[in-house]
Amino acid sequence: MSTKEDILVSDNLSIGHGSKAIMDRISFRLAAGKILAVVGPSGCGKSTLMRALSGLDEPLAGKSMLMGVDLSRADQALREATLRRLGFLFQGAALFSSLTLRENVEMPMREFLRAPKREIRQLAEYKLALVGLADAMEKLPSEISGGMMKRAGIARAMALDPEIIFLDEPSAGLDPVTSGRIDELILKLRESFGTTIVLVSHEVPSILRTADFCVYLDPDTGTMSAYAPPRDFLRPDFTPKAHAFFTQASLT
Amino acid sequence: MVTLGGVWSLHEELPDIIVKGDKVQVRAEDLGDFDSSLPSWLYGNFKNIRQIDLGSLPPRLQALVQLAEKASVNESPSTENNVLERFGNWGVDSSSSWSRAFDHIGNTALGFIRSVFGRAKVNWSDLPLQLQTAGVDALPIVALLGFLTGLIMAYVGLIQLRQLGATVYVANLVSLAMTREMGALMTGIIACGRTSTSFASQLGSMNVSQETDALRALGLNPIEYLAIPRIIAVTLMIPLLAMFATFIGVLGGMVVACAGDLSVEQYLTQVILAITFKSFLVGFIKSIAFGFIAAWAGCYRGSVAHRSALGVGEAATSAAVLGITLIVIADAIFAVLFNLFKF
Repeated sequence: MSTKEDILVSDNLSIGHGSKAIMDRISFRLAAGKILAVVGPSGCGKSTLMRALSGLDEPLAGKSMLMGVDLSRADQALREATLRRLGFLFQGAALFSSLTLRENVEMPMREFLRAPKREIRQLAEYKLALVGLADAMEKLPSEISGGMMKRAGIARAMALDPEIIFLDEPSAGLDPVTSGRIDELILKLRESFGTTIVLVSHEVPSILRTADFCVYLDPDTGTMSAYAPPRDFLRPDFTPKAHAFFTQASLT
Repeated sequence: MVTLGGVWSLHEELPDIIVKGDKVQVRAEDLGDFDSSLPSWLYGNFKNIRQIDLGSLPPRLQALVQLAEKASVNESPSTENNVLERFGNWGVDSSSSWSRAFDHIGNTALGFIRSVFGRAKVNWSDLPLQLQTAGVDALPIVALLGFLTGLIMAYVGLIQLRQLGATVYVANLVSLAMTREMGALMTGIIACGRTSTSFASQLGSMNVSQETDALRALGLNPIEYLAIPRIIAVTLMIPLLAMFATFIGVLGGMVVACAGDLSVEQYLTQVILAITFKSFLVGFIKSIAFGFIAAWAGCYRGSVAHRSALGVGEAATSAAVLGITLIVIADAIFAVLFNLFKF
């Protein structure tokens, strides 16, 4: 049974591509307002897990409850209503290529808010300013760098003040200053709005700075081998592979 | 035991070797210069051997092989499919492709119903642009092909009718064929060539860049948001284009007929006598169906496109093929039905 505070519950989740499972027996609970980092070697299924947790893909077995809703069993209306309460940053940002950054952030607001145009514009400009893109609002995604795209993607994910945000490698490929700024933003989102954040990351310093809990996916056993606060991963007596991953990644 | 020697280069042919057993020792004797061909050859041929002793090889070579072993991921070994397996896989793929198509049709129909009741989120701001690209922008090509179709039919008809002394009926032939059949069919095929492929590329590219996933993550249904305005635009524009093609086709026929045996008055009189409201309606109904098919084929193939550049190309090609095939099948069904109901 999920408690009222558990915004995300993964219950014996099995994920994969097509009918082939790449990870199974993934179980954990995440309380509202917490930050969870999903870590593991490349290709182990971190993004696939995020997609299953957020209801974008159906799990092969088990269930994930998001805000008390089992998305794989919910009807279309409930499913869409629940999805509107979450934000998602994709690995490549997935900005709408024919819209400017401002229009990208405005788009969900235009669809779901009944606010006047001027107000929506103001909201979009504020969200873009939060991620440091106040000067690039009228640019198209093709005219900006990868890091700026990521930040614009975060601004769009924040558009409707979601209760939970999924961030797929938010700071991958970014310089340390921008990466640090994104960490700061993640912490501020949690502090100011109580937003729950689930992120996939390889950046151990960033995980140590931001995350409350960490899930380690082990491709050799095909399941999660650790679920603990990130500091625990640094203990020498911790699950060996998870510990090795953290210490190796810290060194690099 | 395997003994290596000589110079190993990417530009030389590598030796074939079959290694069996659990334990192999590899040593070097007069080993000269080598590039990546040697470690890759060792890695490829010995990776499945349980115990391999590379201890007597130069340390640089050992390190290169061990590095590849460390970096390799645990993947299930690829199996070479036999004919039966391939046939089975083809069967499974085809059935899942059919089920995906029916699923898409069902979701499109549901999307239409939901949008009628105002419960669907449809990107109506896309509609004017789609109306223009699917309709107005297609006028020149529809005019050209419609004119040539009428012209060709008139030529063929005149040759035959002249032998019977009934050249005046060439006007009936061209106008009836254009109104009932060719206007809608030609326009439908043009729509498959330019609109279906365009939709498949647009939606396929959006798949590649995860834009459709982003829509879903925002609680928007991509079929409703992207496909419905496109399907509505094409279904509205194709009947208009078909009427235009019919008009131009009749003009094309007139050019040929009047250059030969008929006067303009004779031709137009016969056209007015030949075209009935019923034949106009037949062409009109067909063009609505063809427009829907062309637009749906593009949206469907685009939405199931693989997430790669190749996938987008394949989606565009298969959208045109699927659209044209379905249009011809629908035309045949219409022919039977209209004949049955004496339409």
